[in-house]
Parts: sequence; structure tokens; C-alpha cells
Amino acid sequence: MSFVAKRCGVQFSPPSIVLIYENKETNKVRKRIIPVRNFSKYSDYSMAAERLKNHPRHRDYLEGVSQSQLERLHVILRDHLQGFSLDYSLSSFRLDPDEDLNKLDDEELARKKGQMDELFEKNRRHKDDPDFVYDVEVDFNVETREKCSWDEESDDGF
Amino acid sequence: MAGNGNNIPELDQNKYDADEQVKIICLGDSAVGKSKLMERFLMDEYRPQQLSTYALTLYKHTANVGGKTVAVDFWDTAGQERFQSMHPSYYHKAHACIMVFDVQRKITYKNLANWYKELREYRPEIPCCVVANKIDADMKVTQRSFNFGKKQGMPFYFVSAADGTNVVKMFREMIKRAVDYKQNPSDFMDEVMQELEVKLKHSDY
Ligand SMILES: Nc1nc2c(ncn2[C@@H]2O[C@H](COP(=O)(O)OP(=O)(O)OP(=O)(O)O)[C@@H](O)[C@H]2O)c(=O)[nH]1
Ligand SMILES: [Mg+2]
Repeated sequence: MSFVAKRCGVQFSPPSIVLIYENKETNKVRKRIIPVRNFSKYSDYSMAAERLKNHPRHRDYLEGVSQSQLERLHVILRDHLQGFSLDYSLSSFRLDPDEDLNKLDDEELARKKGQMDELFEKNRRHKDDPDFVYDVEVDFNVETREKCSWDEESDDGF
Repeated sequence: MAGNGNNIPELDQNKYDADEQVKIICLGDSAVGKSKLMERFLMDEYRPQQLSTYALTLYKHTANVGGKTVAVDFWDTAGQERFQSMHPSYYHKAHACIMVFDVQRKITYKNLANWYKELREYRPEIPCCVVANKIDADMKVTQRSFNFGKKQGMPFYFVSAADGTNVVKMFREMIKRAVDYKQNPSDFMDEVMQELEVKLKHSDY
């Protein structure tokens, strides 16, 4: 079976995950609406996302959708159940490189990390990959290095 | 100086006085990748012990240094400010420190100065290194030089917990330095001073 996920989103009523995918055998693009059951405003979004990703009826379709994206969609659904707007949810994911994340609470921090996970998962080398190397050493040439602008303003503390 | 930082009743920190035990702490801002680095280094080996009230994850590792077996405890701490009061117990009896920042977020680099200052109040002389994580996100950063820690002669590593670059190398070298420090704290200072002199000479060019 080969389903290629194109886009994945949410629908508020009834609470569902919406998947646009292509069936590689028929070359047809289809929409699949997956109702999210037993999910309340108190539910654990990461467990719910995992349950869905491993669901026997849906897992083949969701193979190309990352766990962190499914988590984010569940967060949006839960925010909605708690009365927050979509805007609120989206801005809570946004990464501002100047924001001091040390000041966030657990939940806020988890949202930012969820966003970071996207790239992390993309660049990640898994130990099951055939070309996996445990001890990867790369020497970065010291001579050619330019001065880093991050050092410029006040080098005193450094 | 430090007073007694041994305020985690669940943990007996006296064991770190034994010869074959070292404690290595991992510091840095929230979400710089401290935990991901630990996990990448330890792979399946890790059996972390979570002490969530202290925002602390403890990873136990067995290393072989110069033919001797050493039990290494890695203290993976949380960057969140509300755990500030826990910091003294992190520093307590530590033999080496890994300071991490995120190459995508300048603020985490700037904050190294605060982490370092606090560390030195409690542990004035333990070996310490600076780790630039997430280089997979933008390989161009490896062409820049980051000067934090240069003056103090601290080793610097470009790493990625995602693709594994230099993670194992960095941890192995830090374990070695922790063991060296433990065996001979004062010699270690001399070494740093020498290293520093060499570095200073170099920078005269
Ligand atoms: N691209 C990329 N992302 C990374 C890398 N390491 C960590 N991340 C991302 O950064 C996020 C935070 O990493 P953590 O290991 O949880 O950070 P931490 O320093 O332990 O954070 P606290 O424990 O909250 O202080 C992860 O969820 C990943 O998505 C890396 O090498 N490359
Ligand atoms: Mg962590």
C-alpha cells in the first residue's frame, strides 16, 4: 500500500484530523477525515497523537505525518475545547529566536520544542539506518573561521 | 564559597568522593538540546532516573578510561528559571561541566556567561567545555568562530544531536577530563594555565 500524505489539518466539529493524501497505485488524491475520539480538554495530546499514529485503521495513511505534527494538531483541538482561538494556538508554536525560553512553563516550552522537533526529526540519523555511524567526527577548519557577530557587542562577559 | 549543595534527599552525593565515580553536569538554556545530546551519546544504554521536582534527569554510564572502569553519572538539568534554586545541588561535587547553546538562538549563547559565572562560584576549577548544538540546522555556522570560553582555554565543539556529529567525541573527552581532574585537581589547573598560555601566544599573531 502506498499513500503519500500531502497535507494534514484539523476540523473542529466534530473534532477530526483531516488528511489529504495521494494513492500511488491509482494516482488519485483523496481526503480522509479521521474523527478524534475520547479526547477532551483534559486529555494528554501526546498520548492521543501516538494512539492515532499507531491506529490499525489509520496508520498506513498517517505514515508520512510526523508524530510532532499530529501532536500539534491535537494541541489545536484541545485549545479549541478549552476555548482558545486558532490564532492563539498558532502563535504559541511560533519560534522567536530572541525569546528567552527559560521563562516559559512546561506546557509552553513543550509547544516550542514540538516545533523544533520538525527539523530535528528531518535531520535525524536513526540507529536502524543501514549507514548509521555511532561516533561521527568532523573536524571543522579553524583557520578559515570568520569572527562571529554574536561576540561583537560586549566581549567583556566572555 | 558554596556551602552544602547536598539538598536532594533522594540522592547520596557522597558517593562522588569515591575514586571510581565521577559526576558530570550538563548546563544551558531551555531547549538547547542537552537531553537530546545525552540520549544520542548513550543510545540504548540509558536508563534515566527522573527527579522531576528537581528538574533533573540522571543518566548512569560506565566508561573505560585508561584501562580502568569508571561509573559516570550525568546530571542533565533543566534550563527553566523556576528551578534556579536547585542549581547549587547540581554543581555540588561535580567533576566536569558541559555547557550547551543553540546555534540558532543567540540568546542561548549570550546566557552562557551567566551559567558560567554561577558555575564558577560553586566549582572554581572543574574542567568545562562549550558546545554549539544543532549545527545540522545551518552548517554555515561552523565557519564562524565563537569566542566564549577562549580566554579560559575551554575546548569548543560543534555538534548535532540530530545527526550525531562530534557528540561521542565530546562526551568521551569530557569523561576523560573529569577523571583526570578527580585524580589530580591541582595538576589540572596547571594544565589549563599552560593551555591558556599557548592559546594566548597564538592569538598574538
Ligand atoms: N535540528 C536540531 N534540533 C535539535 C537538536 N538537538 C535538539 N533539538 C531540538 O531541540 C528541542 C529541545 O531539545 P532538548 O534536548 O529537550 O533540550 P534541553 O536542553 O534538554 O531543554 P530543557 O531540558 O528544557 O532545559 C528538541 O525537542 C529537538 O526538537 C539538534 O542537534 N538539531
Ligand atoms: Mg532537558
